[in-house]
Amino acid sequence: MPIVKIDDTDFTVEKGTSVLQAALANDIEIPHYCYHPALEIVGSCRMCLVKVEGMPKLQVSCNTFVGDVPSDKKIDGKYDMVVSTQDELVQQEQKNMLEFLLLNHPLDCPVCDQAGECDLQDYAFKYGNAHSRFEEDKRVRPNEYLGSQIVINHNRCILCSRCVRFTREISGSSELFVEARGYNSKISVLEEKPLDNLLAGNVADICPVGALLSTDYIHKNRIWNLDKQPSICQDCSVGCNVDVFHQKDQILRLTPRENHSVNKFFMCDKGRYGFHRFEEIERLTVPMIMSEGGFIETTWDEAIEKTVDELNGAGKGIAGIASPFHTNEANFMLGRLVNGNVGTLPPITSEEINYPSGFRISGDRSPNRHGMNDVCPSIVDDFASAVERKDIRFLYLLDDGIDRELNELWKGMLEKIDFVVVQSYAMTDVSKCADIVLPGQAPFEREGTITNDMGRVQWLRPSVTTKGESRPDWEIPMLIQSKHAGVEGLTDVSSVMNEMGKDFAAYSDITFFRLGDQGLPLNGKAEE
Amino acid sequence: MSNNGAPKQSFSFADPDKVQNILSQYPDKQSALLPLLHLAQSEEGYISSAVIDTISEIVDCHQALVMDCVSFYTMLYTKPHGRHIIQVCQTLSCSLNGADGLVDHVTAKCGIKPGETTDDNRFTLMKVECLGSCGTAPVVQVNNDYHESLTLEEFEKLLESLK
Repeated sequence: MPIVKIDDTDFTVEKGTSVLQAALANDIEIPHYCYHPALEIVGSCRMCLVKVEGMPKLQVSCNTFVGDVPSDKKIDGKYDMVVSTQDELVQQEQKNMLEFLLLNHPLDCPVCDQAGECDLQDYAFKYGNAHSRFEEDKRVRPNEYLGSQIVINHNRCILCSRCVRFTREISGSSELFVEARGYNSKISVLEEKPLDNLLAGNVADICPVGALLSTDYIHKNRIWNLDKQPSICQDCSVGCNVDVFHQKDQILRLTPRENHSVNKFFMCDKGRYGFHRFEEIERLTVPMIMSEGGFIETTWDEAIEKTVDELNGAGKGIAGIASPFHTNEANFMLGRLVNGNVGTLPPITSEEINYPSGFRISGDRSPNRHGMNDVCPSIVDDFASAVERKDIRFLYLLDDGIDRELNELWKGMLEKIDFVVVQSYAMTDVSKCADIVLPGQAPFEREGTITNDMGRVQWLRPSVTTKGESRPDWEIPMLIQSKHAGVEGLTDVSSVMNEMGKDFAAYSDITFFRLGDQGLPLNGKAEE
Repeated sequence: MSNNGAPKQSFSFADPDKVQNILSQYPDKQSALLPLLHLAQSEEGYISSAVIDTISEIVDCHQALVMDCVSFYTMLYTKPHGRHIIQVCQTLSCSLNGADGLVDHVTAKCGIKPGETTDDNRFTLMKVECLGSCGTAPVVQVNNDYHESLTLEEFEKLLESLK
């Protein structure tokens, strides 16, 4: 394999690796804008220029590839390529490039939403000049909407064309194009074909500067005020890896997090903006018990005691409804509580979308159907008719949440059951059918593991604190089960995972530590 | 942006054989984009959004890609223009040799700024980038012909000759 020397270090790389890839893979920083690992190489920003020995002028490192050189032609008898990223000429060229890129830039970092995560800002600070020789008037263009959620600030744009390539290569929708040429170039969209596909939000993420902005986040906050929690999107069974940006228990935005086994670099707008629907809900924070006049508040002690009493009275007529919206741990504890006698509600589905790049939005809107089926193996899909056959007197439901609409068949069925416990975070359709409602966690409060539809177990981490007296979703069935069985309860979610591993071999070696931020395939069965 | 909200009409090439002939000359359809645009412009006068729709269907690519190409080339017009298109080179050599004076002359004489068309549809004035004839600056391209080393007087005569 070819050996490339970058600055003073030797690296053995695959033939055909670009100099930039070789450098980035080895933590050598070469500033770049137009290069993005998911997109075609265009070499247009000229920021990644390096000096390559034997070549007459500086080369763009993103588009210069290391090859096999015949042994008699090797440099110093050893190297296939010798690269300098720190040469004086390179440093001067970086300064010059930044001066060009900033010619018409408004230098409005104090009001720019990209500030703090802006490559232009960072590189200008690190590699640029503190001054410009451009004394003429700057070119000023008004902002434009490219689509309903994306606005462009042309003055900040450096025309790297990442966004254009994204719509051509990843979403395949080709809405964006570079209009005109030279000094008049700008990113544009046809009036009758705005940028309104379900992946549109990604262009704001891949924009290396503050040109493309999501209207959902614009002027809301400063990036350095926000906490970033790596987690998993819960809006379909793909399980895209995301970063949840939040402040003071309020979520401000979601961005995709790189995971090459799941979502690569991107996420869809359903998941990206989905968190808003949890903002306005009336969050249930105390246990509620049905009395003659409707629901009244009660304490946890009373609620659990009452539930255990009913459980004791129901004998063998107990069952549970697992939820593909809940973690493996919550479903596992539910299964344990009802002796594996578990059913489920009909799936919530939408159209499955496959993009030419391989990106997928699943038709199954629930994040954890695979995991639920794994830890509740004898699950009954057609539970409504099973109830007719069996004599079920006690039913414990893990509520799917605010997306669930309950049909008449189910409402009628729940009415027939003597005692219905619903664990939920809001007064949903399902909660309203309950005799007792136990307040669990809302989606962004949950912690545990979820398994995506390719069988990859991932660590779902909480971004906001659990509201009021609500308790973790795994803890509530655990408390009831341990009191009912007279055994000692489990203390934390890790011990639930441990127990789960004992019952289900596929989950036996799974811990948060091993899952890390990339997750694990179930027993190597998932596609790696 | 395409054709500023004008009512959308459909466009089809006058002679489908010509289109087939162009397509047959290239290994893939998209390569035929430029010749097809020129053909459409010769028939329609300019590239309307209807033209873009038709061509994007023929070469099997998105309209935005066609627009990308159309907007790149100054010889492809996205708006209807006058009978004579006066393109004044404004790049370095021409600029130094008085191209601005030529533009101002048209503006003073006909009352049109660059990019505009006279009311009688006689002239459309444009400033363009380098016409590649720096040795004979200033250069003006009228329709398909170059007029080189122009003085103001010669330019005036030239304008008068165009009806």
